[in-house]
Amino acid sequence: MSYTLTGRIQSRLVATLPPLLVALGIHRWWAVELVALMLLFGVALDVCVYDRVFEYQPGWLALPLGLVELWLIVLSMRMPVTWPALGLYALGWATAQVCGHALFPRVRLEYAQGGGELGRIGALVAAAVAAVTLAGIAGAVAVIPPTVHLHGVVRGPLVIDHAQTLVGGTVRGGILIRASHVTLKDVTVIGGENGIDVEDAEHVMLDGVHVFGVTLDGIHVRRGSVMVKDCHVSSPNGPWVQGIDISFAMDKGMSMIEGCTISGVREGIVTHWVMADITHNHVSGTALRGIDMGEMSMGTIEHNTVVDSKGVGILCLDHSECDIKRNTISGAQRPIQEQYFAHAKLHKNTIEE
Amino acid sequence: MRCAIVGSGLAALATYATLRHAGVGSEEIAVFGTHTDPTSVWRERAASIRQARMRSESDGHLAAPGFPGLAVREGTLSALARSVTNRYHPTVELFLAHANEVRERTGWDESFAERRVAHIRAGEGGFTVDGEGTFAHVLVATGHPGLVHLPGAVHAYEPHAYAPKVAIVGAGMAAATEWRNALAAGSEVVSIRRREPLRRSLNVPRAYFSKRGLAAFHRLAPTARLAVLEDLGRPSYPPGRDWDVDLPVADAPPPGFQVIAATGFRKGWREDSLLGDLVAAHDLETHARFLALAPDSTVPALTDDRRTLSIAGVAGQWAFPAADTIAGAKYAARAFTRRVCRTR
Repeated sequence: MSYTLTGRIQSRLVATLPPLLVALGIHRWWAVELVALMLLFGVALDVCVYDRVFEYQPGWLALPLGLVELWLIVLSMRMPVTWPALGLYALGWATAQVCGHALFPRVRLEYAQGGGELGRIGALVAAAVAAVTLAGIAGAVAVIPPTVHLHGVVRGPLVIDHAQTLVGGTVRGGILIRASHVTLKDVTVIGGENGIDVEDAEHVMLDGVHVFGVTLDGIHVRRGSVMVKDCHVSSPNGPWVQGIDISFAMDKGMSMIEGCTISGVREGIVTHWVMADITHNHVSGTALRGIDMGEMSMGTIEHNTVVDSKGVGILCLDHSECDIKRNTISGAQRPIQEQYFAHAKLHKNTIEE
Repeated sequence: MRCAIVGSGLAALATYATLRHAGVGSEEIAVFGTHTDPTSVWRERAASIRQARMRSESDGHLAAPGFPGLAVREGTLSALARSVTNRYHPTVELFLAHANEVRERTGWDESFAERRVAHIRAGEGGFTVDGEGTFAHVLVATGHPGLVHLPGAVHAYEPHAYAPKVAIVGAGMAAATEWRNALAAGSEVVSIRRREPLRRSLNVPRAYFSKRGLAAFHRLAPTARLAVLEDLGRPSYPPGRDWDVDLPVADAPPPGFQVIAATGFRKGWREDSLLGDLVAAHDLETHARFLALAPDSTVPALTDDRRTLSIAGVAGQWAFPAADTIAGAKYAARAFTRRVCRTR
């Protein structure tokens, strides 16, 4: 079809109505964000590229162009490619094809000869879709938590009781998180009983945090769900210190611990009655266990390295369901152990003396 | 009766189907023409050149909505795949079967009156057709005025067989079809042409089928528009291996060769007695062989808030360069229907 620029934009906007309704219906921010990005990239490409390059656009071109747009969105926004997101994108693409080839020509006889323009009603619907999308983005942006940058050393303990993003700095005496949707990024914690204590909070992100010199747990999570990424826990101040302990949150969302380095503590990573994925961590020199998934926990322990653990390298304990795969354990008294009605599935782990 | 369609070919049927789709009753439309079957003239020409497939694509059908097209109606994955890659050309058989279906479904025969119209005159609030009635809206779709014959030659669009030695005059779609036909019949073939053929998928570049190309075309001054139309009117046939035929070319038919004139149709409003009469009676604006039309295919001097005179088919090229195609017929039909419905 030979689209006019107006026709391209109107067709795109109106065809986005179904995925937009789905996004609003499932009530997830990622979905609204994805639909908004589909529109923004699509309209930008319409204006800057497609209208100039394609005097005529054959039907088959929709497939490669759809893939290019998806690739651009993923690449530029660093969006995680999840099946639901791909599904929503595919829905948007398929809807556009059905609308462009069947629905629009059916309801508006002049659709093709009008270069994809949809007349007054189409323009109104297009404007409504644009307005709803912009309103959704504006609303979401308005409730994005504030970002606080810490500079130098702050005397703690710091109590966070509302959603926010805390970036940088050093806190002495620990941080207590009591609100959901809190992000700590590149924060260093020195001393305190628990370095970072998360209580009854969900969607908490701990990204690149460093914890030193604590007396109980480096990261301590109760009744909450967290994503811990690229953390460092070391130099404990006492013999009973645990690196990361996430407990009593089976009824909450899944927690993830990824890419952390933990050394010199009594137990590296401990879970009790939670769902957790523990991947790509390096645990070394623990006085007891390296990784302990216990008390009816469920999860995956994958691609971790456990070095010189004086007790068990990876322990699946007490009715827990553990998927233990592709880990490397060296220098442990017992590399992997399953105890007390726990069920561990092992796959391609490497045990070294 | 509010509307009259003068003509009984494919453009007339497309207009009738569009009006009916928009809710205009068959009792509100009169169709005046020389053939009860709107496909008969076209069918005979297609049969003469043994045309098997249409040059048009999936949406080259006569029903009012573009969807479903003929590829969907054919109902095979292969047809759909060829359609999205612009390689689908429906068979003549499918096109005609669908045209008959449209004719039956729309009630064409209820509105049809067999008559060759000689005069259309504008009057108060409408038009008289051969002195009869007052029709607020009239669409003229009289088709090609006639064939261009060459002395001693049979025209490609008239029934004919192939002699052992055949000279084919022309360089357009009909000529290209005849080259292949004659070769398939075992004839020795010579092409008689003044210039190398233009290879184009459709009659005109695709942009001219939509507002994208048409908006600029409509902005052209008459002299520039004339030049564009003359250029677009050069004979052409589609690219692709199916159409590639290596033939000897000569300036004149060699002695002893059967001459087939694939020379197309007579052109221009002067060649059409009805249009010639209309131009003379109302002193309508013309540019060379083209009748000046508004972008919506109406005659500006005879169209206002209460009445419409539209031109569909080849005579409508001033508004739509590919007016002699199915797309062109529908372009005029839709614009005409908009005006009919607006004044309801």
